[in-house]
Amino acid sequence: MSKGLSTVSGICLAVAAVLQGISILLPWWGMKFIAPQYPEGLDIVVYPYKLEGRIDIINGLNHYIGMKEFSAATFHELDYLPYVIGAMAILTLIAAIVRKKGILYVLIGLFVIGGTLGIYDMLHWLRSFGTELDPHAPIKISPFIPPIIGENRIANFITYSYFSYGSFLIGAAFLLVLLSLWKERKL
Amino acid sequence: MKKAVPAVSGILVGFLAATVFFADFTTQGTSTSATPTGEKSTAEKVYIPFGQQDEYYMFASGGHSGQLFVYGVPSMRRIRTVPVFSPDSATGYGFDKETKEMLGGFRWGDFHHPAFSEKNGEYDGKYMFATDVANNRVAVMDLSTFVVKDILKVPNTVGPHCAAFVTQNSEYLFLPTRFSAPIGQQYASLDDYKTKYNGFMSAVKMNEKTKKLEVAWQVKLPPWSYDLSDAGKKVSGDWAVVTTYNTEEATTNMEINASQKDRDYILLFNWRELEKMVREGKADTINGVKIIDPLKVKSGLYLVPVAKSPHGVDVTPDGKRFIASGKLAPAMTVFSFEKAFEAIKNNKITEQVKGIPVLDYASVMEREVNPENALGPLHTQFDDKGMAYTTMFISSEIVKWDPNTGKTLDRVPVQYSPGHSVSAEGDSVSPDGRYIVALNKLAKDTYLSVGPSHPESMQLIDLASDKMRVIQSAPVDPEPHYAQMIKADKIKTIEVYPKDETNPNAVYQQKNARIERKGNEVHVYGLAMRSKFIFDDKAKRKDTIEVKEGDKVVIHLTNVDFDEDITHGFGINGYDQDIEVQPGETKTLEFVANKAGTFPLYCTNFCSALHQEMNGYLLVQPK
Ligand SMILES: [Cu+2]
Repeated sequence: MSKGLSTVSGICLAVAAVLQGISILLPWWGMKFIAPQYPEGLDIVVYPYKLEGRIDIINGLNHYIGMKEFSAATFHELDYLPYVIGAMAILTLIAAIVRKKGILYVLIGLFVIGGTLGIYDMLHWLRSFGTELDPHAPIKISPFIPPIIGENRIANFITYSYFSYGSFLIGAAFLLVLLSLWKERKL
Repeated sequence: MKKAVPAVSGILVGFLAATVFFADFTTQGTSTSATPTGEKSTAEKVYIPFGQQDEYYMFASGGHSGQLFVYGVPSMRRIRTVPVFSPDSATGYGFDKETKEMLGGFRWGDFHHPAFSEKNGEYDGKYMFATDVANNRVAVMDLSTFVVKDILKVPNTVGPHCAAFVTQNSEYLFLPTRFSAPIGQQYASLDDYKTKYNGFMSAVKMNEKTKKLEVAWQVKLPPWSYDLSDAGKKVSGDWAVVTTYNTEEATTNMEINASQKDRDYILLFNWRELEKMVREGKADTINGVKIIDPLKVKSGLYLVPVAKSPHGVDVTPDGKRFIASGKLAPAMTVFSFEKAFEAIKNNKITEQVKGIPVLDYASVMEREVNPENALGPLHTQFDDKGMAYTTMFISSEIVKWDPNTGKTLDRVPVQYSPGHSVSAEGDSVSPDGRYIVALNKLAKDTYLSVGPSHPESMQLIDLASDKMRVIQSAPVDPEPHYAQMIKADKIKTIEVYPKDETNPNAVYQQKNARIERKGNEVHVYGLAMRSKFIFDDKAKRKDTIEVKEGDKVVIHLTNVDFDEDITHGFGINGYDQDIEVQPGETKTLEFVANKAGTFPLYCTNFCSALHQEMNGYLLVQPK
C-alpha cells in the first residue's frame, strides 16, 4: 500500500479532473488558411466531438489539388474521444478522492500514452491528407505534410496550425498531476 | 569626406529638381492646394484608401436605361449597376423565370425617382422604391441583396414621373400621372380631352411579409400634367404636395400651349382623409381599382396657386414649409403648411376648379425668393440647419439660401445645367449637411471625348465649410434624374443566400442532382460549384443536358458555393439564355428547345482558376 496523498495534492487532482471535463466542450486544435482572396482566413477547428469552421469552402477549394474531403464522418476519433477524455477526468477525480500515490503513476502513464497516441494520430491524418492526393486532380502539387503547429505554405494558401483552449486545459491538468507528485516527493 | 560630396550634391540636385517641376509659384487663385492650414485638400477629401469604405451610398436612378446606379460618396466610385426595369445580361435579369415574368415583356423602362423606405421620417435602409415613366410600373428592391423583389404595373396612372414619394412611415408611396389619358388608356379623341381624359394618382402599398406591391386606391384628377411631389413630415405628416403644369389642358405643341397661364397649381392633399373615404366606401370601383372622384365627394384635396409651370416641390425637414421651384419663373415660392391648415379652417377658398377648392394664394404663401440672376430653379434639398439648396438649370449653379428669411447665403457654379441635386439624407427629417451632389445634364468637355454624345456628370460639393466647393466629378451613363444618399451603416446586406430546405427546386447535395422527364417536359435539378455543373449525378456525363427538339426545358440551378462573392453564371451558346446564381441562390430557367443541335453551356461569371473549364453541353436531338 502506498501512502496517502496530501490535501493540497488532492485539490490539485480535483482541479485537474474538472479541467479535463471542461476541455471536452472546447476546441483543441485548429488550422487557419489565409490566401490573397481570403484575407479574413478560413478556419478548421477541431473539438473532441465535432469539426467546425468553413469546412465546405475548404473542401471546395481542396478538390483542386485532389485532397480528400474533411468531414466529421471521416474522423471516427470524434465518436469516442469525448468518452476517453471523460474517463480520464473520472479517473483523475477518483485519484483525488482515493489519494493514493500508486494511482498517480497510472494517471501519469495514461497521460503520456494518450498524448503520444494523440500526436501520432494527428500526424497520421496530416500525412494522409497531404500526401494521398488524387492523381487526377486539376492542379498537381508535391505531397506535403502540414506541421501540427506553425506555418506552412500550400499553393496560394499560408496555413497556421495551432493548439487551442482544450489542449491548454489538458496541458494544465497534466501539470497539476505532476505537481501533486512533486508535492509528495519527500514522502 | 570624399564620399559626402556626391551625396550632398545629389540631395541638392533632387531638391532643385523638385522645386522646378512641382512648386506652385501662384500666389493667389483657386488652386486646390491653397487650403487653410489643418483643412484637408480636395484630393484628400475624396480619397478612400484600400481597406476603408465610403461614408454614404448614393442610389441614382438610371433614367431610360431602366437601371439603378449605386455610388460611394465621397469617392464617387460606381459600385454597382442594378437592373430594375430593363433586362440585363450581366446579371441574367429578365432571363430567369421569375424576373422574366416580373418584367412583363417590356424591354425598357424609364426610371426617374428613387425613394427609400422610411421610419419616423428617417431612411431605414430596408427598401428602395422605383417608378417607371415609360411603362407605368413601380418596383421594390430589397437592400439586403440589392435585388428587385417585385414590379407592379399600375393601371390608369400614365407616366408616373411624379413618383415615387414615400410617407414618413412607408404607409404609402404615391404615383401621380405625368400624362393624362382616358381611364384604362382606352381610345378617345383628343378633341374630347377635357371630358374624357384624366390624371390619376395611385396610392401603392407594400406587403412587407411577401414583399409584394399592390394598388391600395387611386384619385381621379383633372387632365393636367403632374410633375414632382413630396410627402409631408412631422406636423404635415398626413399631407403631401404635388406640382402641376398644363392646367391649360393643351393637347398639342405643349412647349407653347402649356406655358400660357401665369399660374398653375400645387395640389395639396391629406392622404389620411382619402384613406378614410375609401374605408367608408366613398370610392368607385372601376376595373377592380377603388377610385375617388373629387367631382363626387369632398375629398381632402386642395389647390394652391403657384407661379407657372413649377418643377420641384420640396418639404422642409421640419415639415413646416413646402418650397416650389419656378422653372419658367425665376423664383422659389415658400409656402407654409400651418398657414394652409389655417386657410382651410377659415375657408379661405377663392374658387372651385373641377371639384377641388382653390386656397387663397396670399393666405398660404410665406415669401417669394428670387436670388439675383439665378435662372431656372428646379429642385431643393436641405442641410442639417434647414438651409435650402436649389439647383438652377439655366444659370448652371446651386444656390444656398435661408427659407426663414429668403436671403441668399452662397452659390457655386456646376458644369453644366443641374436637374436634381441630392444632399446626404436630404429627404429625411434630419439631413446630415455633409455633401450635396449636383446631377448635371450636360458634361461637355469635362471628360475624355466619346463622340458627339457626352456622358452626364455628377459633381460632389462639400458642405462642411461655409463656402460650397466642388470636390469631385464623376461621369455617369444616361441618365440620373434623381438620387438619394443614405449613411452607409444603415444598409445591412447578406453575404450568401441562406439554405432553404423547403424550396423544392433547390439542390444542395451533389447526390440529389437529377434530370426528370415528364412527357415533353425536361426538368433539371442541378447545381453549380467551383468549377463544374452537376445536372445529373447518376449520368455518365454529369454536366450534359440531353433533350428532344420541341421539349420544354426547365433548369433549376443552385449555387452551392456558400462563399462570399463566388457567383456563377450559366449561359447557353446560341440559345439566347443566360442567368446568374449568387452564392446559395437557386434560379429557374425555362425555354423551349426549338432548334436541334449541339450547344455548349458554360459559366459566364468568372468564378475560379478553372472557370474556363466550367462547361458542359445542351444536346437537342432532332425530331
Ligand atoms: Cu463558375
